Amino acid sequence: MTEAVRLDSITKRFPGVVANDDVTLSVERGTVHALLGENGAGKTTLMNVLYGLYEPTAGDVYVDGDGLTYEGGEEPDGDGDSDGLPRIAEAPQRFDSPRDAIDAGVGMIHQHFMLVDPMTVAENITLGNEPRKWGGLAVDREAAREAVLDLSERYGFDVEPDATIEDVGVGVQQRVEILKALYRGAEILVLDEPTAVLTPQEVDDLFEVLDELTDAGKTIIFITHKLGEALEAADEVTVLRDGRNVGSVETVGTTREELAELMVGREVMLETETPPATPGSASLVIDGVTARDDRGVVAVDDVSFAVREGEVFGIAGVDGNGQSELVEVVTGLHRPAAGRVELDGRDVTDASRRERTRAGMAYIPEDRQERGLVMDFDLTENGVLGSQHDAPFAERGRLDWERAEDRAREIVDEYDVRPPDAAADAKSLSGGNQQKFIVGREFARDPSCLVASHPTRGVDIGSTEFIHDRLVDLRDEGRAVLLVSSKLDEVRGLSDRLAVMYRGRVVGVVDPDEVTEEQLGLMMAGERPDPLPRAERVGDAADTDDRKRVRSGVASGEDADAEATDD
Amino acid sequence: MSATAAVSDLGTRARLAVAGAAALFLSAGALALTGSTDVLLAVLALLFEKSTLAAALRLSVPIAFAALGGIFAEKSGVINIGLEGLLIVSAFGGVYVTSITGSVWLGLLGGVAVSTLLALLFAIVCIEFRADQIIAGLAIWLIALGLAPFASTVVFGSTNASAGTTFPSIGRLLANSGLPVVSTAGVAALDALAGVPFFGALFEASPMVYLMFVAVGASWWTLNRTSFGRWVHASGENPKALDTAGVRVSRVRYAAVLLSGVLAGVGGAALSLSLGQFVGNGPTMVNGKGFIAIVTYLLGNYNPVGALLSTLLFAGLDALQLSLQGQNVLAIPRPLVRTIPYVSVIVVLALFGKTRLPEAAGEHYESGEE
Amino acid sequence: MRRRQMTDDDAGAGGPLDDGDAGSSAPSVRDRAFDALDRLVAASATERLLISGSALLLSIAIGFLLILAAGRMTSCGSAAYSLLGVGFCYDPFLVYDSLFLGAFGDFLANPLNGQFATTVSETTVLVFTGIAVAVAFKAGVFNIGGQGQLVFGALASALVVYGVSGAVSGLVGTLVLVSVGLATGAFVGGIWGAIPGALKAYADANEVITTIMLNFVATSFALYLASGPFKDPESFANQTRTLPEFALFPQPLFPGRTDASLLALALAITVAVGIAYLLRGTSFGYDVRTSGIQPEAAEYGGVDAARTVVASMALSGALAGLGGAVYVFTIAGNFQTGVPDYGFDGITVSILAGNNPVAAIAAALLFGVLKSGSIVVDVGTDVPPELVGVLRGLIVLFVAMPEFFRMIGERVDVRDRLGGSRDAVATDGGEEA
Repeated sequence: MTEAVRLDSITKRFPGVVANDDVTLSVERGTVHALLGENGAGKTTLMNVLYGLYEPTAGDVYVDGDGLTYEGGEEPDGDGDSDGLPRIAEAPQRFDSPRDAIDAGVGMIHQHFMLVDPMTVAENITLGNEPRKWGGLAVDREAAREAVLDLSERYGFDVEPDATIEDVGVGVQQRVEILKALYRGAEILVLDEPTAVLTPQEVDDLFEVLDELTDAGKTIIFITHKLGEALEAADEVTVLRDGRNVGSVETVGTTREELAELMVGREVMLETETPPATPGSASLVIDGVTARDDRGVVAVDDVSFAVREGEVFGIAGVDGNGQSELVEVVTGLHRPAAGRVELDGRDVTDASRRERTRAGMAYIPEDRQERGLVMDFDLTENGVLGSQHDAPFAERGRLDWERAEDRAREIVDEYDVRPPDAAADAKSLSGGNQQKFIVGREFARDPSCLVASHPTRGVDIGSTEFIHDRLVDLRDEGRAVLLVSSKLDEVRGLSDRLAVMYRGRVVGVVDPDEVTEEQLGLMMAGERPDPLPRAERVGDAADTDDRKRVRSGVASGEDADAEATDD
Repeated sequence: MSATAAVSDLGTRARLAVAGAAALFLSAGALALTGSTDVLLAVLALLFEKSTLAAALRLSVPIAFAALGGIFAEKSGVINIGLEGLLIVSAFGGVYVTSITGSVWLGLLGGVAVSTLLALLFAIVCIEFRADQIIAGLAIWLIALGLAPFASTVVFGSTNASAGTTFPSIGRLLANSGLPVVSTAGVAALDALAGVPFFGALFEASPMVYLMFVAVGASWWTLNRTSFGRWVHASGENPKALDTAGVRVSRVRYAAVLLSGVLAGVGGAALSLSLGQFVGNGPTMVNGKGFIAIVTYLLGNYNPVGALLSTLLFAGLDALQLSLQGQNVLAIPRPLVRTIPYVSVIVVLALFGKTRLPEAAGEHYESGEE
Repeated sequence: MRRRQMTDDDAGAGGPLDDGDAGSSAPSVRDRAFDALDRLVAASATERLLISGSALLLSIAIGFLLILAAGRMTSCGSAAYSLLGVGFCYDPFLVYDSLFLGAFGDFLANPLNGQFATTVSETTVLVFTGIAVAVAFKAGVFNIGGQGQLVFGALASALVVYGVSGAVSGLVGTLVLVSVGLATGAFVGGIWGAIPGALKAYADANEVITTIMLNFVATSFALYLASGPFKDPESFANQTRTLPEFALFPQPLFPGRTDASLLALALAITVAVGIAYLLRGTSFGYDVRTSGIQPEAAEYGGVDAARTVVASMALSGALAGLGGAVYVFTIAGNFQTGVPDYGFDGITVSILAGNNPVAAIAAALLFGVLKSGSIVVDVGTDVPPELVGVLRGLIVLFVAMPEFFRMIGERVDVRDRLGGSRDAVATDGGEEA
């Protein structure tokens, strides 16, 4: 084998945290190596060490895109060595900054693209290494263009050098990132969660690109928490858990279950079991809602559906297909360009946030640290957020802090928020505990309708299960729940009906138990599978109102998503 | 490079056009309030007098230089609200050094040096010590507001100080250059051109006016055509992208803020030395020009040429205001006429407040932080 | 370093800790990490006090050097002060002695002396402008227009009270006139403050620029009124007619002084405490603080951002206008152009007090002392009183960079831990990020 990268016993400590604990990793030249693990397993930290963003507390980094050389000559079989790896002849590398790593041929494609939006593709690719003319007095823009076209051609990319980044799609932006690394002479490419923002089709395209690159001798390391992708795209998978390397396996001859167990460390339930719902009448009705985003682009396009009492209505889709804007329209943070929102029979389209809260709408926002909590307030103060003008906290404009503190204590107790201290600042809590506090606060409103947007994003497994159980409890109490999540397992497991959004439209509403993963994948890419699975899984729903409704198992001939969208 | 080519983006041109129209409309409205069309005509005549253009050019210099400096700093992600302070210290510094050395050119250098030093302090505070840029910029202004009159009183015994000399005219410069033929022919040509109505003012301006045009062109080139300009842009929009591309963000920001000190320094020294004196009581002779500069580059959408055009707009209003005061065309009391530039700044800002700031402007950036 | 980013663990976005709480429900490594970070970064009340104190001391130290440097630049017969054999024309100790102790006059012999009366009256106005800036700051709005709001408040109350003063007299007259004057000042100042508030809320116009511009407008407009339509015909100065004595603030303690009133100071303190309660104890205060600290969360919590900005700017302007009225009723006795920089000093007061209305009382006293002391400096030494202006700027600058003091603090910590090893200190470049 020809090793391109070896991380030898890397340990990285942050104050109070060991992010990487004695991790050894070896990557063969010309292969795709997946670094698999849950959020928080230390994957990104490890790669930041490789990229020179962090200095390791202990351990050595060896990099050579053409292959490392070993003591005693080329390519020993390594069997005789105590740790299974041959000894490297060269001194370990020390990367003080990304520049050093780049010089050594390492390129990194971050999850959040490192692109300057108002600049062009070519300007971004050459940033920091601009070709110059006239003794450095000017950037040679023609040379930059040429270089970009040259690279695109060599690796079969399709990019327009003069397009502005903010005008091109996410898939293209990712390619620009890859080209940026290649332009700097990268032999080893590190991709951090490259599929998180892509549609299934774009993911396939990306994997093809990776093949092209490895064929050309490049070495790829890609970070992911998705088992399936690791299996599909990689030649070898290394699993990290709690900062440790818990095993490297060849993808040939391993199974999903095996990898899952390595990842989580215990046998996981991949399915959430929920009893069927008994929905009542419509509580939240979305009727023909169209909304534009901040740039004036239509983000939500004529969406209609109704969430009934006693059901969880899920919305799935790749992030950025209008879900956020839809939620903001529903909750009163964003004014729709057209359409109506009704809550329990009342038109709330023009109602303010406060009026909606008073009318019984609770809202778990997508971004808890930006919206859901005031980070510099303590939990007592945060428990009041949204009810600061209402009983029981406010009386004729005055706030009753004792009541507020009691409420915060109740939430902390009931929802197991740690530390159990109403005087703790929100920012001092971990993500999972922050989220539990928000859930507790919103549930304490005793809402008739709950809008939950990505309620378990970035939350640990224990808290996730807890939050899931609470959502189902709320449903069973006969409340309406609108659940938006990009985690397919989550929306499928919890929802009673599931809508899929693509480019601002509802592609279809399906029964989450009936629909297959392939069908969902197609829908998330904007295609309607034929035949479309039915939208109902509840057998005994009382069909009380006059809206069209499809019951489970009854092939009535009505299109299942007739009430959702007429496109 | 022509102005229209440089201000190529439609948005900027439209904004400038509307702003100009708004300013004219406002002035006309104000005049209409006072009554007769005679007055309106008199004011229009005043607008196209050579002396008005001359005054507008002269008044543009400090604002334009400060605006150029502000563009560099803000594009790199450091909002420099302390431009006013930089103008104040360099206005005094220029007069002080000139009074000692007797040379306005050394005075100019002195003003630049003082302003750059203060900008360095600002840069260290913002970049090294992560200060809130707005508050730190305000502090720079307050420090200058105290320091310049303080120093003036210490050295000259009064908050007002005289440099004893001013910039020579471009004609004098040529005449004294000692170049055969060129000097005499040049002077003759300039004299002839200066006789042209209205535009003649362009040919008898202070050398600082020409330097201003040069600086605008050079700044445009630097920002749009050089690597450094790219880095400045990236540093303000997405510093992390620049950092991961291997360019040190803090260095780019230091360079940009220091450059704003140099440019504002030229502006401040030009302001005081073109009058040959420093006035340090109250809000000093700078009198809000640094803040107006900020508005001009916002209006010009961070484009040096756009900033120059909007500077000429404000300076034109100011020049008109001065002429109105001087010639008693209007019955409007002077203190009210004096508010015209400030009111127009507010109106322009209200109409075009939604400028898109650089994405990372005002935010501290620490390498390796995520 | 932005805390929000530090805690951002969305989808494994790769915060430095890459989300350490996965799969464990025990007090996670993440919690511990945050404890550490909190100790490092969070500004507790004590720390704020330390920062403000250090900023003050550092400014005084730099002022010391400035006085020495100025003393070298000027010429004098004999050195007033010499250090290490070098003579300086100004004696910094004498200057600071005049500045800080001068403001109290001969306090031990007569606590009600004239100089201290000046200190009290300056402090009173500064309390108002200080809390004016603080209220706006709490709402996330930077009100630099306190000066203009104060000028208009002062002018309006002087004019209205003069107009009404003919109709009433005696003690009742004083009560009526002072109340009317205060109300007028607050109202006009509030309107003048609400304008930039509305421009920010509805037209997105940056309030820093608009308030500064409105200061210029207010000053010019006040000059026009005080030199034209409302000019006191018997005076050469640009000022309005002097108010009758019974129209001024009652001044029970300071004999023979019309310019200092402990009643006015008591009013200022009451208002400051009231504002503190408003911010902490009411729904409106909750809205203000939330939108100041985290506007997105405020929006989520049902706060009408635009209305809150306008309301808090109006309140801020009203407080500054109140300060203007008090200035007329205690110090000036009428409106005259060239109103001292109370509005700008208010910014310093508020920043030094960490935008806490109650702490602003102490900060206002400090600046009252400086302003009063600068008169003593002017009379008693050759050092220009503009020194106080420089100190004002320096204090704002240093308070704006808490990180500086934290880094120094950390170095000291490290030294303590390592038993005074200087090498370790030298290599610890404050790279905790």
